[in-house]
Amino acid sequence: MLQWHYKAADPPGDCRSDPWFTYQLGKRLKKRYAASTLPRDQGFNNLLWDYEPEQPPSIPGEPDVLKILKEINGYETATSRHLSGFSELKDDGSTTCASWIYSGVFPAPDKNLAARKEPDPPGVMGAHLNWGWAWPANRRVLYNRASADLQGQPWSERKKWVWWDGQRWVGYDVPDFALTKAPDAPGEPDGIGLAALSGRQPFIMRPDGVGWLFAPSGLQDGPFPTHYEPAETPVQNPLYRQQNSPVLKHWQRDDNRLVAVGDPRYPYVITTYRLTEHYLAGAMSRWNPWLTELMPELFIELSPELAQEKGIANLDWVKVSTPRGIIKAKALVTRRLRPFTIAGKRVHQVGMPWHWGWQGVVTGDVVNELTAMVGDPNVSIHEGKAFVCNVERA
Amino acid sequence: MAEAMGFYTDTTVCIGCKACEVACKEWNQLPAANGGVRELSGNSYDNTRRLDGIHWRHVKFVEQFSADRRDGRWLMMSDVCKHCVQAGCLEVCPTGAIIRTEFDTVVIQSNVCNGCRDCIAACPFGVIEINPASGTAQKCTLCYDRLQHGLEPACAKACPTDSIQFGPIRELRERAQARMQQLHARGEARAYLYGADPTFLGGLNAFYLLVDKPEAYGLPSHPKLPTRNLAFSALWSTLGAVVLGLFGLFSLRTRGDVVEPDETSSGTVDERERHV
Repeated sequence: MLQWHYKAADPPGDCRSDPWFTYQLGKRLKKRYAASTLPRDQGFNNLLWDYEPEQPPSIPGEPDVLKILKEINGYETATSRHLSGFSELKDDGSTTCASWIYSGVFPAPDKNLAARKEPDPPGVMGAHLNWGWAWPANRRVLYNRASADLQGQPWSERKKWVWWDGQRWVGYDVPDFALTKAPDAPGEPDGIGLAALSGRQPFIMRPDGVGWLFAPSGLQDGPFPTHYEPAETPVQNPLYRQQNSPVLKHWQRDDNRLVAVGDPRYPYVITTYRLTEHYLAGAMSRWNPWLTELMPELFIELSPELAQEKGIANLDWVKVSTPRGIIKAKALVTRRLRPFTIAGKRVHQVGMPWHWGWQGVVTGDVVNELTAMVGDPNVSIHEGKAFVCNVERA
Repeated sequence: MAEAMGFYTDTTVCIGCKACEVACKEWNQLPAANGGVRELSGNSYDNTRRLDGIHWRHVKFVEQFSADRRDGRWLMMSDVCKHCVQAGCLEVCPTGAIIRTEFDTVVIQSNVCNGCRDCIAACPFGVIEINPASGTAQKCTLCYDRLQHGLEPACAKACPTDSIQFGPIRELRERAQARMQQLHARGEARAYLYGADPTFLGGLNAFYLLVDKPEAYGLPSHPKLPTRNLAFSALWSTLGAVVLGLFGLFSLRTRGDVVEPDETSSGTVDERERHV
C-alpha cells in the first residue's frame, strides 16, 4: 500500500529531506563523470536524473517528488504521457518505468492515487479502494479469485469478496484474474502464461495455477511444512529423529558455538523480542527522553518459580550467558512466564527485549551478544526467537 | 454551553502501547521525568508509576495470573483526569484557577494557579500534582486548545485500537452501553461501566469500561468530595462561633461586675492593665 505523506513543516536549519540528499548526490556524481569516456562510467552519463522543479522550491535544491513518482509510475518515452498501468509497458524502449509493480499509481498529472484518503462508508462492505493505492493494480488481496468456489460463487455470503456475475469477475476488490474468463472456461493446451490456465485456477502466478501444500520446488526446506527444533534446544525433537533443519545456515566460528541438546550448563530457553517503546536495536529511540522514561532499563523476564530456584528477587541484577556472550540485566519476575513440562521434564523459559546499547539517554547491555548466527535456509533470517542460556544472580 | 465532551476508555481493547502517553507529552510539551533516565519500576511494564504534573496519561498494567496459570489475564488501562461533573479540585481552588470549560471539562489555568496544592489533596483519583517546570498544579486539560479548534485530544487521536474514544458524553455512553452488552453476550459477564452513571460524582466525563472491581485498577469504588464535610463543618463552625460568642459575652459581663467598683476606687495602673 502506497500512502502519500505531506510534510508537516519545513525542516529546521540545515536539515534536509531524504529526496534532497539522493537528488543532490546523483547530480554531483553525474557532474563528476560527465567528461569521462570510460565504459564503466557511462551508467552515470546515461542516467536520467531530471527532477528539477518547475517552480523554485521553498528549500533550495529539493527535487520535484511528483516527477520521481511519475518515473516510478511509467510514461510514454516520446510524449511523456502517464501510463495507466503495467499492461501498457513495452519492452522496446517506447515506455519508461522505474518499477512495474507500482505502475498505475500516477495515471494522470492530476491523479496521484497514493494521496487518496477516502475510506468506504462505515458499515458498507468494501476494500477501501479509494484509500491510497496498493500494488499491483490497486488490488488489495492477491489471488482473490480463490474467494469464490469453482463455479465462481462466493464460498460464504459473509466472506464474499470477488465473484463471477455471469459475464465477468466483479466484487469489492480489483479481481486478480482475467476479467472475462468464465469459471468453466478451459485452459488452452498450448497457451502461454494466463492463457494456459482454466477458469478454475486462481493462482495465476504459479505455472499450474493452483495453491501448493506440497512444494517440490522453490523452497530450500520443502516439500511439506514440518516441525524442527531450533538450532539450540533443551529437548529432542518429539516429532521424529531429525533434530533440526538439515539445511539451516550456521556460520561455524569459535565465537559462534552452539550448545548441544540438553547441555546442563545452559538449561533455560530464552526468547528475544521488541517493546513498543523502542525501535529495533534502540539506536534512535534511546535518545528520546519521552521513550526512555517509559522503558528505561534492560530487563530479563522470568517466572517466580525460576526466580525462587535461583534466589533471584524482582529487580536484582542477573547475569545471562551463552557460549557467545555474557550480559547483565535487571530481573522482572512475572507470572506471565511459566515453566513448561516437556517430555516429562520441567523447562524454564526467560525473555529479553533487545533495544539497549552503550549510547543514548539510557544505556544497557546488548542482548544480541547472546544470540547465535544461525540463519533460516530460505532468507537467512537469524534465529533469535528461541535458543538456550544460563541465568545466575549477578 | 456546548455539549459535554469527554473520553470513553474501553480497557478491553487497550494493548498497552503507551502511544497516548507520548502523544500527550508531545502535544502539551511536558518534560520527561529526570530527563528520561529512570530506574525500572519492576511493576510489569509500567514505568510511569502514577499520574502527576508531567504525566497526564498513565497506562496501568495489572497482571492477574493464578499460581497454576490456568487463569490469566493482563489488564491494561490508560488512566487520565476524570473531568468530574462534581469536581473536588474545582470546589477547593482558592484562586479560581480551576475552571469548567464550555465543553464541560475541568481545566487548571496555569497563569492563575498559585501552587497552593489544595486541589492535589481534594482530587479523589490522585490525578493532580505540581509540574516542576511551571511550579503550578497541572493535569490533563482534555486538550482544551485542540477542542477549541475542532480537533480531538492528542491521546485519542494516537490510540491505535480506539481504546480511548472522544466525543459527546451522551453518544459515548450509548456506545459504551452497547459494547458492554456485546461483551456480556459473549460471556464476559464482568464487564461494566465505571463513572458513566450521573450519580457518580455527577458522572465522569472520562469514564471507563472495566472487567474487574475498581480497586484492581487502583480506582476508588466510592470517590468522595471535599464538600461532603460542608454541612457538618458549617454546623460545627456555627456552633463553635456561638459558643465562643457566648463565652465572650459571659467574660465581658464578669469583667463589668469586677471592674466597676475598681474604677470608682481608682485602682492602680497595674490593675487596670490586667483588665484590658
